[in-house]
Amino acid sequence: MNRRDFFSWGTAGFVALCSGVAVSLGAVVRFLVPDVFYEPPQVFKIGNPGDFPFGPPTFLADEKIYVFRDRDKGFAVASAVCTHLGCTVNYFQSDQKFHCPCHGSVFARGGDVIHGPAPRPLQWFEVTVTRAGQLQVDKDKVVPDSYRLMV
Amino acid sequence: MNLIREIWQSIVRRDPLSTDKGKSELVFLNVWLHIHPAKVKKEHLRFKYTFYLGFITFFLFLILVTTGIALMCYYRPYPPMAYQDMKDLQFVVFMGPFLRAMHRWAAHAMVVCVFLHMCRVFYTGSYKKPRQFNWVVGVLLLLLTLGLSFTGYLLPWDQLAYWAITVGTNIGGYAPLVGGQLKELLLGGHTVGEAALIRFYVLHVAVLPSLMILLTIVHFWRIRKDGGLSRPTWKLRPNKTEALVTIGAPAEVAPLKTVAASTDKTYGLMEVVTGKPIFETVTPEEEEDAVFSYPYAFFREAIALMVTVTGIMAISFFFHAPLEELANSAKTPNPAKAPWYFLGLQELVSHSALLGGVVAPALMVLVLIAIPYLDRNPSRRPADRKLILWLFTFFVVANLVLIVIGTFFRGPGWAFVPPWVHVVSGAE
Repeated sequence: MNRRDFFSWGTAGFVALCSGVAVSLGAVVRFLVPDVFYEPPQVFKIGNPGDFPFGPPTFLADEKIYVFRDRDKGFAVASAVCTHLGCTVNYFQSDQKFHCPCHGSVFARGGDVIHGPAPRPLQWFEVTVTRAGQLQVDKDKVVPDSYRLMV
Repeated sequence: MNLIREIWQSIVRRDPLSTDKGKSELVFLNVWLHIHPAKVKKEHLRFKYTFYLGFITFFLFLILVTTGIALMCYYRPYPPMAYQDMKDLQFVVFMGPFLRAMHRWAAHAMVVCVFLHMCRVFYTGSYKKPRQFNWVVGVLLLLLTLGLSFTGYLLPWDQLAYWAITVGTNIGGYAPLVGGQLKELLLGGHTVGEAALIRFYVLHVAVLPSLMILLTIVHFWRIRKDGGLSRPTWKLRPNKTEALVTIGAPAEVAPLKTVAASTDKTYGLMEVVTGKPIFETVTPEEEEDAVFSYPYAFFREAIALMVTVTGIMAISFFFHAPLEELANSAKTPNPAKAPWYFLGLQELVSHSALLGGVVAPALMVLVLIAIPYLDRNPSRRPADRKLILWLFTFFVVANLVLIVIGTFFRGPGWAFVPPWVHVVSGAE
């Protein structure tokens, strides 16, 4: 083997070694990303339309949503997760606003930020009626705050 | 009797401790003790110079490892079990509350001691050449200490744990570009759940402690390699321009080389007791200034260890670690507060998540790491360092003020409430 071959093969070997290490590291990081999430489903049924009263929204704790039912406007579903750092906001009927207990963000009934560090309005999710007549929420489908389901 | 003596001598091969040779060999023939020098400077033994904060921090870490391993015997990192195991530790395990309290208070104390240790090193200017890199290692150890605290916080799976980690990981999610993926990687999902619990557990009991031990070894090693502890500035001699030392083995006829003496070197590394030192000559006044590590340094370390352990035990005897209600993802406590050492951060976050939660802490860490390279002033005397001392004091005070505000002046909804005002929490 001459000098030129030695360096060619040496370089090739070094590059191969480095890529091997890089691929292995990438595989380790990929290993840490789960392919299956054992988390609550994003699409779920919340019950019959008649279960929900008019007036103040109903808080569903497990799903972390507020279900609004207005006499003329129909159903709307708001996320109860504060857009700042993920605390669960509380709705107060007295001032008709959402208050976040963690850092004091205040959201209007429509979800807009009135006060505090929250960077975005609360999210609204699509709500539909299944064939069996039940309400179904899809958290993957974010809708504008004007969205209403008339039943 | 001869057999017993033979066994003993096969283990301990040093001369009797009544001799100077024995005192030296005790140190450098022992794998655990040889991280010490055989002789130490008297001034370094003075409590007032270091407050023994490095040792105390290390001893707290030892307490955390031992109590942590004990707690692991009763803890299962799975949401339905974790909280139940905490209750078991509180009520049905012999000494369970005591061990848990020791673990908790030692963790708090370690955060305090690491911070104070950093302050001591800063105010004495001990991060300056040749000790720059050890300061960097120290900052990494501070971050690891906070990381261990943070990951440990989730494990009880109570309300405090759940919401502190929800807020904390969401702060990380604000990091530009990688924030979202980083959060998902850390949680193993999208919200704090069972995947997050096992990941935090692995980080807390395996990954972070291993890193901690590795970096601690480097930290200790570098103290010696950087010339021992820094000398108190009042002991620093004015720079003699032409102090020279001769290097070379004493057996050789001609010395190998004559070089400028280090002004901040404590003593020759390979000093033997009789005859001349091998590598570097030590001036008679320096000889007089040093004492054997055994018993002077070891005795003081043992006292520091005993005070640390009994102190933590005494506190744990009277104050048990709190445990709140079972984690409830639907109900955020009001106010929801992070552990106290993160409340300064939470106070910043309450103003802006990106600036306060990501930019400000990242800058703080970067500046801390860069201090020894940014500070070009070679002098360690306080009189020559007024500006930087003021700046650092401002940094310390600002952190303390933010923590005090977050801890005592924030009430429901993070509203400003002085501690002397009692607030009746509003309707849920």
